Amino acid sequence: MIDALIASTIALTVALVPAAIGGAIHRLSGIVNIGLEGHMLIGALVGAVASAWSGSWLVGLVLAATAGAASGLLVNLVITRMRGNEIIVGLGFNIVALGVVGYILRAGMGVSGTLRPEGLRRLPTIDVPGVADVPVLGALLSGQSPMFWFCLVLVPATAWLLGNTPWGLQLRATGALEPAAVSLGLRSLAIRDGAGLVAGLLSALGGATLSLGNVGLFNENMIAGRGYVALAAFYFGRSWPLPTALACLLFGFFDALQIRLQTGVGASADLLSTLPYLAVVVILTATALRELRRGSRRMV
Amino acid sequence: MTTIVESRRRLRLPSLGSAGSVLAPVVVALLVGAVVVAVTGNDPVSIYRTLAREAFGGADRVNATLAAATPLLFTGLAAAFAYRAGIFTVGVEGSFVAGGLATAAIGSHMDGVVPALGIAALLVVATFVGLVVAVLPAVLRAYARVDEVVTTLMFNFIASGLASWSVQAFFQERGQANSATAMVADAVRLPELAPPGQTNVGLLVALAAVAVYWWWTRSTTLGFELTTVGSAPRFAVAQGLRTRLVVLVALLGAGAIGGLAGGVHTLGIVHRFTAGFSAGFGFTGIAIALLARFNPVGIVAAAILFGALNSAGTTAQLFIDLPIQIIDVLQGTVMVFAVAQFALPRLRKRQAVPVATT
Repeated sequence: MIDALIASTIALTVALVPAAIGGAIHRLSGIVNIGLEGHMLIGALVGAVASAWSGSWLVGLVLAATAGAASGLLVNLVITRMRGNEIIVGLGFNIVALGVVGYILRAGMGVSGTLRPEGLRRLPTIDVPGVADVPVLGALLSGQSPMFWFCLVLVPATAWLLGNTPWGLQLRATGALEPAAVSLGLRSLAIRDGAGLVAGLLSALGGATLSLGNVGLFNENMIAGRGYVALAAFYFGRSWPLPTALACLLFGFFDALQIRLQTGVGASADLLSTLPYLAVVVILTATALRELRRGSRRMV
Repeated sequence: MTTIVESRRRLRLPSLGSAGSVLAPVVVALLVGAVVVAVTGNDPVSIYRTLAREAFGGADRVNATLAAATPLLFTGLAAAFAYRAGIFTVGVEGSFVAGGLATAAIGSHMDGVVPALGIAALLVVATFVGLVVAVLPAVLRAYARVDEVVTTLMFNFIASGLASWSVQAFFQERGQANSATAMVADAVRLPELAPPGQTNVGLLVALAAVAVYWWWTRSTTLGFELTTVGSAPRFAVAQGLRTRLVVLVALLGAGAIGGLAGGVHTLGIVHRFTAGFSAGFGFTGIAIALLARFNPVGIVAAAILFGALNSAGTTAQLFIDLPIQIIDVLQGTVMVFAVAQFALPRLRKRQAVPVATT
């Protein structure tokens, strides 16, 4: 029971972390990415189809990442080069992505909503010898997918890249005060385009983790708002990689609990599903109250 | 690590002067839709012709289009109201759901009331409930500058989660497989304008609301302040306009209109609250408001356009096997390109240094 809960918590967290880290990077460059949901959906579909077509989960992941990078860049170009508002463009993109995917499933592939590609290769599990039989640690570390290990590397790597490389500094400078960054000769739009590409790429990997995970199928509703949960996570973690990842873990746990309860008492699952969003409202309120008390009140 | 400076979000909408800037998003959407349709081996021209016929070909089809446009008129108005003040609410969807549920929960116990009184009371409740959903984001935005996009987005999920929980816990109609409330009493259903078509008195309420909006923004002090805070925030602050009040009014007003929309949708069309009560009406409303540039006549026109897409899409999927998702493609694309600038793409030039507005 505990092991099963740990396993599904980790599976759901691993899908959230890449998207949330991508969103955090994009956020640090100065753009709020509402479109994570859409990129995840595209990644899930492309991952499933590519894995079945090639017979390799790795090709599935790579093509999903490529598609996500393309959609991430494309959406960001509308924001930076056509000066579209990031919120509206992101919301609109999510609607378009859901529409295109739903349309192609029905008109192109002749299925209504759920695709079970023949020959789909799921993500393998990696057993860690020696740890596998230890009660909790075994469920934690052994038998995880490659994406789990990818996330374990991704979080500290992102923190290091943001903190210690010219790229990270330029990215943060662009997000913190764009005019100053531009005056120093940084190409702020190009930096944001790069961040948008990374956000799309990582989100798509998160989506592919879902479709290539335990079940090995694609459903048009399988993202089910997890892109928005990822958004909540990087707001909760204030775009810092480690707190963002920990927020994903917390929300992944809520999600796992919710799925578990759904089979028993349906009603409380609905209540649980609101927890990530409540958590963000609470933390935003708490932060605001603290700043108000400090007297750093600014004009509207 | 870095603190993030919240830059004030601005909408840069091309001026209404050129008709092209309004038509461009629609044209781009039709092109994108045509590509998607063509890729799957269908003929875009014949599909668009079918959609147009299903939307406007005959009195019954026009009736269906107007019925579909009614909730969109409200949500478009709600979005326009807030966005006009430069407030980016995405919470109309949550208010819509809350207003619709409250109306259905109470309205199912209202047998034998005087219709006009019962309907008026229910719509007041719906409006109030919609407003309540927006209270916390409004207060946080006005007094602590908490980003309203995130809070209203979160409140959508909170509202819809609470709604489906409370339906299952309290209002579930017996013998219903999926979560749905009981039907509202006959007395409080909004009368249809031309039975058996679904268009009802709600359309008139919506048009009246748009008219009030038109008058209010033109003729009242607060209406003027709302517009000014949105179009020239620094000027508004410098002139001592009541910016905080404007922020509160914009968010609460959008919530109230969203709640009213949900109430009218319950009493006029659905007659109860079910899972999937709102087909993203709150989000479509944003596209409508942007396409209309917050102009009242534009809101009516854009709501009818999107209503036509919805009603035609629903029937076209029965006749010609056209998946209704194509409508989402069209609506979403309009939304994306309604805020985009159709100048020559700025591929290499650095963005002009904006005046710091934080």
